[in-house]
Amino acid sequence: MKIWKDFIKGLWEENPTFRLLIGMCPVLAVTNAAINGVAMGLATLFVLVCSSTIISLIKNLIPSKVRIPCYIVVIATFVTIADLVLAAYFPDIHAVLGLFVPLIVVNCLILGRAEAFASKNTVTRSFFDALGMGLGFTWALTFLSIIREVLGMGSIFGFRVLGEWFTPFLIFVLPPGAFITLGIIVGLMNTFTRKTA
Amino acid sequence: MEALLLFIGSVLVNNFVLARFLGICPFLGVSKKVETAFSMGIATTFVMTLSGVASWLIQNYILVPFGAERFLQYVAFILVIASLVQLVEMVIQKTSPALYQALGIFLPLITTNCAILGLALLIAIKQYSFIESIAFSFGAGAGFTLAITMMAGIREELQFADVPKPLQGAAITLIIAGLMSMAFMGFSGLIPM
Amino acid sequence: MRREYIRMVVVLMIISLFSGAVLAQTYKVTIPKINENALRKQEAAIIKVIPGAKSFKEVSKDGVTAFEGLDENGNKVGMAFIAKSGGFGGIITMMVGVDMEEKKLAGMTVLSHLETPGLGARIQEDWFQEQFKGKSFDDGFVVKEDVDAITGATISSTAVAKGVKDSLEKFLQVFGGEY
Repeated sequence: MKIWKDFIKGLWEENPTFRLLIGMCPVLAVTNAAINGVAMGLATLFVLVCSSTIISLIKNLIPSKVRIPCYIVVIATFVTIADLVLAAYFPDIHAVLGLFVPLIVVNCLILGRAEAFASKNTVTRSFFDALGMGLGFTWALTFLSIIREVLGMGSIFGFRVLGEWFTPFLIFVLPPGAFITLGIIVGLMNTFTRKTA
Repeated sequence: MEALLLFIGSVLVNNFVLARFLGICPFLGVSKKVETAFSMGIATTFVMTLSGVASWLIQNYILVPFGAERFLQYVAFILVIASLVQLVEMVIQKTSPALYQALGIFLPLITTNCAILGLALLIAIKQYSFIESIAFSFGAGAGFTLAITMMAGIREELQFADVPKPLQGAAITLIIAGLMSMAFMGFSGLIPM
Repeated sequence: MRREYIRMVVVLMIISLFSGAVLAQTYKVTIPKINENALRKQEAAIIKVIPGAKSFKEVSKDGVTAFEGLDENGNKVGMAFIAKSGGFGGIITMMVGVDMEEKKLAGMTVLSHLETPGLGARIQEDWFQEQFKGKSFDDGFVVKEDVDAITGATISSTAVAKGVKDSLEKFLQVFGGEY
């Protein structure tokens, strides 16, 4: 049941965003609307799964001194693929995510998984580890962006869910709102895990 | 004049950390003590300025002439940054052991600081001139140093405050960052970008 | 030591070559679609800013590019050009349509921008874009006088107005004499 454990830990126990606090730049930057959060999460998931699998596959061929540059080249390749595919088939989403698609390259989550897991474990285990971490990242981004969109715009995925009586707190879609919302969620998660533990 | 405005703009108005969300990992991770935070800021500024210049040269003299800027840009930039960091590390180690002691441990971390790749990409997107690129890179680094040092200053004081247990650590740091970011929004409009 | 060094370089080079090959291939497959998207977006914008236009033709003169809007019979119904301006977050590009006979703007739409969501990004809202429609060529385009600004986003509003005005002047210098 090792594989199941590899997969499941990324979703909650070692959730990259709320527990490990890695790969924070996109978490804060693109979560101003739910659709952006989902798109960014899925793009990262794609890159993470592909590069973890490939790196695990070629790990024995790479001399340890140049492993980081090698990993980065693999990651950058998949990011460029994701970027081109998004630009070709989902131009609207590509326009919104803008600068943050290329920055998946330096998302510490991906290099972190490559270094800490994929370079030491079998291909299958690396695949499920990446899948779990990627999905954990995706749900965290989706969750955060839904909260921010509801409070900041009164809508979810662009549909107005709160009536006219609601005056949106614009601050939540602006940079300060990102930091504060995430800080409160992390705090709440700490409270919750402490009680169950 | 343009360059000066660009410099001030990237320090205060569009601060890399607080307005653009670039370089959050070291901002949260290495901001416990003012001294180390400041060293990290200086090391980052140094690498940022160098890689800003290097990526400008690569973009304008290699990628664009060969028509490869659309699909080799990310790979090329990140490789340049990674090798540059390695190079800086070696040079500092040889020339100034004292400086190496102070900065050494941060240097490998800088490769994955997204502020640096972000900077290289922004320079390419905005099509800055050579001089503008230098001003922008240096300003971005200075802005990063300012933000991380201020954060460390606040967190040092915070040790004496009674922070609710669940909020200790990362959570309170994020909330402080939010307040700082709000304060920095006051600079918007300072410069017509 | 030496052999290890060579091996390092060779491995890194092989990986980079492989990556370059894969990317060149992906680029070849996706680029027609990416260009088509850009073209379609441009066409939609031109049709939006020139009333009655169904297609367009690109025209270039003295280094300035503009577009002629054509109706279903291929008759010229107006002209459009791209305006650029430095906004709050980055460059704002707009498509501006002009009615050369009435000497006024026929429409304006924002093509791309990097403004703050909820504030500057509201330059994309219809009410803001609509107010440029029907403005005379010699309007001042002064924000808060001739053009209503978006609350909390004066910089973005000014950038749009200034971009329209500057590009209009450039456009008229080259194409203005034709009528």
